[in-house]
Parts: sequence; structure tokens; C-alpha cells
Amino acid sequence: MKKYAYNEITLMQFICILSGVQLSVGLLALPQRLAQRAGTDGWIGLLLIWVFTVIANLIIVRVMSSYPQGTMMDLLTHYCGRWVGKIAAVLLALYFFLYGYVGITRTILYVKQWLLPQTSTFQIMLLLLIPTYTVARNGLRIVGRYAELVFFISLWIPFAYLLPLQDAQWLYLLPVLKEGWLPILSAAEIAFLSFSGIGITMVLYPFLLHKRQAFAGVAISNTVSMLVFLMISLICFVYFSPSEIKEYNEPVVNVLKNIEFKFIERIEVVFISFYLFMFSLSWIPTFHASAFCVSWMLGKPDHRNPLRVIWLILAAGTLLFMPSFTQNDMMGRWLSKIAFGFEDAIPVCLLIYLWTKKE
Amino acid sequence: MSKCWLHVFIAISVLLISGCNDRLDLEDAAFPLLGGYDLDEKNNLLTYVTVPEFSKSARKKTQELGVRAKTLQQARQQSDAYWPAVFQGRKMLVILVSKRLLAHVDWFRILDVFSRDAKNPLTCRMIMYDGPLSEVIYLNQQDQPFLPLLLRGMVDTKSGRSETVKTTFQDMHRLRFEKGKTPSIAEIRLENEIKLNGTALLDHQGKYADSLDAQETILLQILQNQAKHAVSLTLAIPGQAKRGPLNTDKLSFSTNKAKTHIKTAFHDGHFQFDLAVHLSIALTERLFPYDMHHKSTVLEKAIAEQLKKQFEGLIGKIQSHQIDPIGLGIHAQAFTYKPYKKVEDQWGRALSEANIHLSVTVTIEGVGTIK
Repeated sequence: MKKYAYNEITLMQFICILSGVQLSVGLLALPQRLAQRAGTDGWIGLLLIWVFTVIANLIIVRVMSSYPQGTMMDLLTHYCGRWVGKIAAVLLALYFFLYGYVGITRTILYVKQWLLPQTSTFQIMLLLLIPTYTVARNGLRIVGRYAELVFFISLWIPFAYLLPLQDAQWLYLLPVLKEGWLPILSAAEIAFLSFSGIGITMVLYPFLLHKRQAFAGVAISNTVSMLVFLMISLICFVYFSPSEIKEYNEPVVNVLKNIEFKFIERIEVVFISFYLFMFSLSWIPTFHASAFCVSWMLGKPDHRNPLRVIWLILAAGTLLFMPSFTQNDMMGRWLSKIAFGFEDAIPVCLLIYLWTKKE
Repeated sequence: MSKCWLHVFIAISVLLISGCNDRLDLEDAAFPLLGGYDLDEKNNLLTYVTVPEFSKSARKKTQELGVRAKTLQQARQQSDAYWPAVFQGRKMLVILVSKRLLAHVDWFRILDVFSRDAKNPLTCRMIMYDGPLSEVIYLNQQDQPFLPLLLRGMVDTKSGRSETVKTTFQDMHRLRFEKGKTPSIAEIRLENEIKLNGTALLDHQGKYADSLDAQETILLQILQNQAKHAVSLTLAIPGQAKRGPLNTDKLSFSTNKAKTHIKTAFHDGHFQFDLAVHLSIALTERLFPYDMHHKSTVLEKAIAEQLKKQFEGLIGKIQSHQIDPIGLGIHAQAFTYKPYKKVEDQWGRALSEANIHLSVTVTIEGVGTIK
């Protein structure tokens, strides 16, 4: 019997949620970080980490497909017992919460820096949390539809990034492999955070309408993310001079500041406001997943109460503590280490475990 | 019941959360359109602003103000004191700097507030004035558009014909960190009226090095491959007789296509650049009689010869000042990475020792409507 029958999501929604989670955190700072590590060769690092992530994601799907009707927690309960499942639920809930927290606080920092410098963080947090609750309190299908909507209304953004290209200096990309492979591997490591978030497949998988599409789904969503990252990074690399790009915190935004229209000043404000939709995909699905994990552990079908608790923790928490940019960066670095454990190491171990068990 | 609480909650949030507590009414804001930066005799920073005046009772449409301050933020504070409004840098169109300021290394650092404060624009045009800025700022010509608009218009239209360069704050910022190319900005002078003089070349530290006139600026931009289509050049063709006081040996043309191929190599400790310039031109003016029908290739060669001389003069100027406005360093970095990295920090000197070969080919595509 299908446990999650009422909330099935289509392949498109699956792709949108997954890409959305990946594309948000770290997108704005990505080109600068790649440049720090590997200069204008950083984009090769993106390709490397893309291959790596696709493989890791396929492993997750492979593991999930051995128990297609349930989430990761159901799978672990089935194979390893009840307590393992519960512990996994707690850990995953914490992981998704942390992921969403890093995303939402970074968004607040961006809003404060570029849009509302004098509005308090608490107010911005509340403003972001209200739509978060209204979307996330419903089932996964609504979250999926929201992700789809965000995807379609964001389709015009790449075109605006073609405008700065008239000042581009393509020679900056040459020579390829300036200093050998070592800096590129180091850039790949820094790009890892941007590609993390695929762990959400562990919760999404049982909701997917046709399980056979999961392999295609993860491959497509990772490729979409890779293409967006690649395009944005290349544009920043050819627009800024190689040493200048390291001076900016968010080169992705600065690149737009130079577009001049007669009818609007500070075009980047429009973009940052619009990016809020995209960024929201880094916390809405993850908070939803986190609440889902908690309610699963408590054995209750309704995930709204845990979601309300998360909501209150976030709202009250901002009054007490709000990370600065440096602290947020540090959290991001932890997150990418934790993500490596959850999304790469554990699935591989599980895959080996499942194989040995079958034999 | 829960619906009711929800409504109460929404009402409270709406009251508490308003995103407008940092708004600014237009009446309380002053928007300087031009910022001018200069040094006085004791090398104190002088800051000038030109602000449009909207008040009905004001007889003049603009207000100018100059203050002495250590930094631009401080200058803003001091200028605020003269107005019933607060300063907003976000409408700035033009940044005017004096040659005196440009004589100092790293003067660009004082403009840090433009790149750091997200509210400030990055597209203001950089212009150099040769003399004390107070002369231009307080000029107040009656029969011309007011200064910021005049200057911006000058730079935008003339750079459209490649007769000057449109260097925005962002371009300057980019070149400040670029070792393989030195900045060049528009230059104005005052000869009774404000006059766009061409281009000022700066060195790697941003110091003023030399000036180019309109024709040289066009040549520079042809070498940079940035010449807009249809630039117009005038040359003297030797061997044509001058008649009386009129220079009837002159010939003008506009380009249909201007393309420069740059080949980069490194031999025996020297960089070598081969610049192949190709121009397709249409004659617009010829002050001497000429048999175009039979001898047009001879004329093409003569034009190429004259252009080559002018290009070589320009390159000589560049090399003698140890600067690189063409951006050959970027080519050197792309194609000869290892040797470039070694001399990157003294690129100007390395370029002055480099061998630069130049070849010019010209094709005449049109001679106009008369023979």
C-alpha cells in the first residue's frame, strides 16, 4: 500500500525542488570563491563537482529504490530496526533544519545589505517566515507546485545576465589550466556547498509519482544547477578582471549594477528582490522536510505542529542571535562537511550494506 | 476560533512590520549629479558637488558647493550642513577629478565609498580636468545645459564616435586591479567654453601619464578593437601640393570595419606583439585631385603608410611612459602565461622593452557620390 499516496509529485516538481535547493545558498558568492581558489579556471572545478554530485545522487536513488514505498527512515527501520530509523529521523531533521537556517539567515543578510539596511533582522525574518509557513504547512505537492512556479517566473533572469557581456574580456579565460590541477581541485571543494542539498531526495523519493524517473530526475536537476552555476561564473569571470573579482562579496549582484536603463536606477534591487523567490527554495522544502522527519519520528501523520515549533524557534531565535556574514560563512563550511557525510559517505555505506545483505 | 486568532495575528503583524521605516521623502533629499575631487595648495582634499535646485524661489537652477574634508563621507556630512536636505549619492552622473589629484599614487582609494555602499551607482563617468576644479564648477554658463548633463552628454556622444573613452567608475575599478592594462579617462579643458579634449592616460598606480587628442584616441580604440563602427579620421597624404594657406593635401574617411589582430609571443627574454590592423574605409573628403579609377591601390598604400606612422607614434608614446592602455598585458597573460607572471608587477617596463610590430592594410570600399 502506498503510504504517501495523496502527495505525489511529478518529475517536473521533483526537478524544481532539487535544483531550487541547490541553486540558492551560495549562488551569489560562488564566482568569487571559485576565483579565490583557482582564478578564472574555477569553472572546471564546477564540472568536476557536478560529475561527483550526480554520481552521489544516483547512489542515493539506488539505495532508496531498494525500498521504494518509504523514505530513508522507513528504509532504515525496515532493514536495521526501529531505533536506527528514529535516530536517522532526528539526524536528518537537524540536518535539514541547519540547511534551511543557513539559507534563510544568508538571505536576511543579503536583504539587509542590498535592500533594507535599516530594517531589523527580526522584522525581515517574520516577513520571510509568513509565506514560508503558508507554503510549507501544506503537503509536499504544494511545495512542489511552488518550486515549479518559482522556476517558471525566474526563467528571464539568465537573459539579463547576457547584457553585461558587451563589456566582456574573453581573454581572461585563457590559458586554461594556468597553474595545473591542484587549484582546480581546491575550487571544486569550495563548489561542493553549492551542489549540496541533494539529501532531500531521501525524503522526496517515496512521493515521486513514477519511481523509474528518479534517475533521470536527479541527473537533470543537477545538470540544470550546474549549467546555471557555470553560466553565472563564466559571466563574472569575463566581466571582472581576475584580481578584481576577489574584491567583491557578491559579484553576481555587482555585475548587474552596471546595466544602465533610463527608467530605473539600481537595477540590482529588482534582482535581489526576485532572487528571494529562488532563495526561498533553500529553506521552504528543507524546513518542510525537517518537520516531516520530526512528525515521522513521533509517529504522527500531521507535520504542521513540528513546523510551528520550527517557526517559533526561528522567530524567537533571531531576537537572541543573528549570525553575521563571517559566522554565516563558517556555518556554511560546517554545513558542507556535514552534507558530505549525509549525502555522500552514508549512502555509499548503505549501498554496500544492502549489497552484502542481499548476498 | 483559530481563524479569529489568525486574523488578530495578521492585523498585529501588519501594524508591527512595515518595511518603510527607512524611507526618504523627495523634499528631504538632495541629489548631487556631479562630484568633483581636487587638492588645494596644501594637498587637502577638496570636494565639490553640483545639485539641481527644484525650489521655485531659487533663481538659479543649480547649486554648487565646495568643502574641505578628509574623506568623502566626511565631505558629505559637511555639505549636508548647507542644505535643508540630506545628501544621496545615488543619482551621481559624473565624477570630475583634477590633474593635481591625479598626480598622486592611488588617489582612486578615496572613492572607496562608491564601491562599498550598495546605494551608490557605479556607472558615473570619470572625467579629468586640467586645472583647479573651482574654475569649471562655478562657471555657470547661461546658454548651456547645466554642467553634469553637459559633461555626461559630451562623454556619451563623443565616445560613441570613439573620440574619447567612456570610462565609468566600474571600469576604473576593474583596471585598478588589472596589471595588464592601464586606465584611460575622458579629459576636458576650459578654453572660454568647456571643451572635450580627448583622453588622459593613467599609469598602473592611477597617476596621470599623458594626454591623447581625439584622433589618437580613435587610433587607440582601433588597437583595442573597441572602435565603434564608422569612426572618422583625417590624414595628410604626402606628395600632394598645398595651395596657398589651405591644407589641400588632406583626406578624410570613415571606417566601415576596423579590426586588429594581435599575435603574442615571447622570444629571448622579450615579449613580441604583432599587431595587424585592417581597415575598410569609405572616403568622405578629399581636398586634392586624384585619379581614383586607376590609382586607388596606390592611395590605399599611402593611407596605410600614414596611418602606420601615426600608430607608431602612439605606441612610442605608450612605451616611453611605461603604460599599457591597449591591454596588451591581457593578451600576454592569455598566450604567454608563464613569462608574463614573472614580470606582471612591472608590466609597464616589460612592455616598454617589448618588440611591437605593426602592419596596416587599408581597403577603400567607397569614394562617395562624386569622382
